Amino acid sequence: MTLTTDSSPASGGAANGRSARGGGETHTPISRKNSGGRDLLQALPWIGPALILIFGVVFFPAGLMFFNSTRDISQSGIDKGSVGFDNYATVFGFAEFWPILLRTIIWVIVVVTFTVALSLVVAQVLNKAFPGRKLVRLAVIVPWAASVVMTTMVFYYGLEPYFGIINKFLVDVGLIDTPEGFGWTRNADTAFAWSMAIAVFVSLPFTTYTILAGLQAIPGDTLEAARVDGAGPAHTYFAVVLPQLRSALAVAILINIINVFNSLPILRIMTGSIPGYSADTIMTMIFKYMQDQHKVDVASALSVIGFLIVMVIVAIYVKAVKPMKEV
Amino acid sequence: MKKSIKLGSVAIAAAAALALTSCGFSGGSGSSDASSGSSTLNLLVPSYSDNTQKLWNDVIAGFEEANPDIKVNLEVQSWDNLESVIATKVSGNQAPDIYNGGPFVGFAADDLLYKSSEVTSPDTLSDFQESFLENETYEGDAYALPWIASARALFVNNDLLKQAGVDEAPKNWDELLDTATKVSKLGGGVAGYGMPLGSEEAQAEAAIWLWGGGGSFGDAEKITVDTPENLVGAEQIKKMIDAGATQADPGSTQRSPLMEIFVQGKIGMQVGLPPTVGQIAENNPDLDYSITPIPTKDGSAMTVGVADQLMAFKNDGSKQEAITKFFDYVFAADTYVPWVSAEGFLPTTKSGAEALADDEALKPFLDVLPDAQFFPSTNPNWSATDSAFKALFGQLQKKSAADVLTEIQTQADEG
Repeated sequence: MTLTTDSSPASGGAANGRSARGGGETHTPISRKNSGGRDLLQALPWIGPALILIFGVVFFPAGLMFFNSTRDISQSGIDKGSVGFDNYATVFGFAEFWPILLRTIIWVIVVVTFTVALSLVVAQVLNKAFPGRKLVRLAVIVPWAASVVMTTMVFYYGLEPYFGIINKFLVDVGLIDTPEGFGWTRNADTAFAWSMAIAVFVSLPFTTYTILAGLQAIPGDTLEAARVDGAGPAHTYFAVVLPQLRSALAVAILINIINVFNSLPILRIMTGSIPGYSADTIMTMIFKYMQDQHKVDVASALSVIGFLIVMVIVAIYVKAVKPMKEV
Repeated sequence: MKKSIKLGSVAIAAAAALALTSCGFSGGSGSSDASSGSSTLNLLVPSYSDNTQKLWNDVIAGFEEANPDIKVNLEVQSWDNLESVIATKVSGNQAPDIYNGGPFVGFAADDLLYKSSEVTSPDTLSDFQESFLENETYEGDAYALPWIASARALFVNNDLLKQAGVDEAPKNWDELLDTATKVSKLGGGVAGYGMPLGSEEAQAEAAIWLWGGGGSFGDAEKITVDTPENLVGAEQIKKMIDAGATQADPGSTQRSPLMEIFVQGKIGMQVGLPPTVGQIAENNPDLDYSITPIPTKDGSAMTVGVADQLMAFKNDGSKQEAITKFFDYVFAADTYVPWVSAEGFLPTTKSGAEALADDEALKPFLDVLPDAQFFPSTNPNWSATDSAFKALFGQLQKKSAADVLTEIQTQADEG
């Protein structure tokens, strides 16, 4: 699990480094003859440390994870030799694998869609000038400043049947008639739904601020020009504002997909006490293999599968939406 | 200028990252210093209560005073983290010298542990109750020392039973079902029987019912979960749930928070441990309760016994003598009895049992101990069985009892 999250900053960095690389390419054709080996050698002292860093934090852990996934590792963590792809067979042979995969995809789609839709609205509001705007902007950051575990715990205890404040409220206003409240976190479906709500809540700040930055980069004269041309607010938004948010939205959606797919703490806390596998995603399943069943090898195999799935999702997204294309 | 600073910091970060990564693979740090004859013992223990750390610190202070050439490093972890911490340490060649935990067979099978006879003096070894030491045996030798024991008993809220019109605590399943249903009918969020089948300790609640109906989980050779005898108990659990005799959603209820609800007086009956007595005294001393034997199918006596272990890792093999000194010190009655009684558990040594024989709070548990059955923890597949119970047993609430037992047996056999 940690291995895949380690890689996310690097993919963010690659996205940001785009313009710098483009600028460098224009200089190379001048000395093409004696380029190649010598150029590379000369560049090495400058790019070497970055290469070492990328190797150390991205490729090495990913390679180790793949290596572990082909080994037989005992309960106490001793390597007992290679088993080829048996661990992958175990994962795919597990009856609950496909439901878990489906649930993971639903989890990512629902959380990212709601997060982005809500963030677009919130960012639009924060972009308007109104008294106390600074304070409101600050308030939006709060869920981000608190640790995800803390935020989830607040909801978890709020939903406790016997003493949770949310349950108490629902009982007091008459929406629930059992005096000890409803077991929101005790049933797979409701716990999963609440987890989605919490995931949207904690993803909002980052997404909102990314979109807000995009909104502020839109030059005032384009909006003015639209107004002069007689475009209404809705038309201005969809024809002028939204297309210019393209790259901000691309960053927000990509980072969110990776983040939400790899999210463990919310589901772990909210659905941790539910027996069986009816509320698991790939991440919580990796955790169950590792923590509960002490099968580090099988957990590694599932991690590799998860890693590949994220890569495929991101590739499809980049290919289909072409988020990096300039407007 | 600006660029070079940036690259410089990248280089430093890269070097640091490499240094950090290599640390994880450098293997055990040789902390024992052979030349001067002094050594350091690393001790990894779970937290039984808020007192645990202080109790260990007292023990260590006394030990270090008596053995000035040995230093002891204490690391306390919560039960939730303990097993992943030890697994990480072992796979990184950083195993502690002494470990206080549950299952030991996996380590013994990998040849990581000292035999008990190698790290204790004969006097100490002969002081353990035989039945407990037997429970630490793998392929003919003991590899762990029973540290503390506990047995379970039924905690009964006398007030609630009286309100429901029941005079006497139930002794068999029929009476239990009847009483619990009556208490549940009192309403107001009151539950008759507190049934924690959630992942925290499902294997214990399972044992209470499945063994109480005449079943067992097997022995050192074979794990037997999917048997007709066990099905009787599982069906009875479903009967309790369907009759509304338990709290809501028993399948995903954790034990510790539910015990708190009992302590607050909202549950008629629940199975508890010796430390529950202290918990009630601290949080709700006014609670009118009694402790009775666990009701079984036909009313015969049965309880679930559990012993946690101390075990010694071989590592580089240089600390055998220091570990022996430590174990002998710890299990001496002067050190051991205050520790066990402060945590509210039962002693595993004969001298400890004598010293605590007339402790009022422990008496109901010492009484049921002769009828205790144990988990087959010396079976190499017990660890997998244990986690299968934790992950799957709660499905009883929604799935058929036979299916759940089959699923657990399958996962247990896979190991």
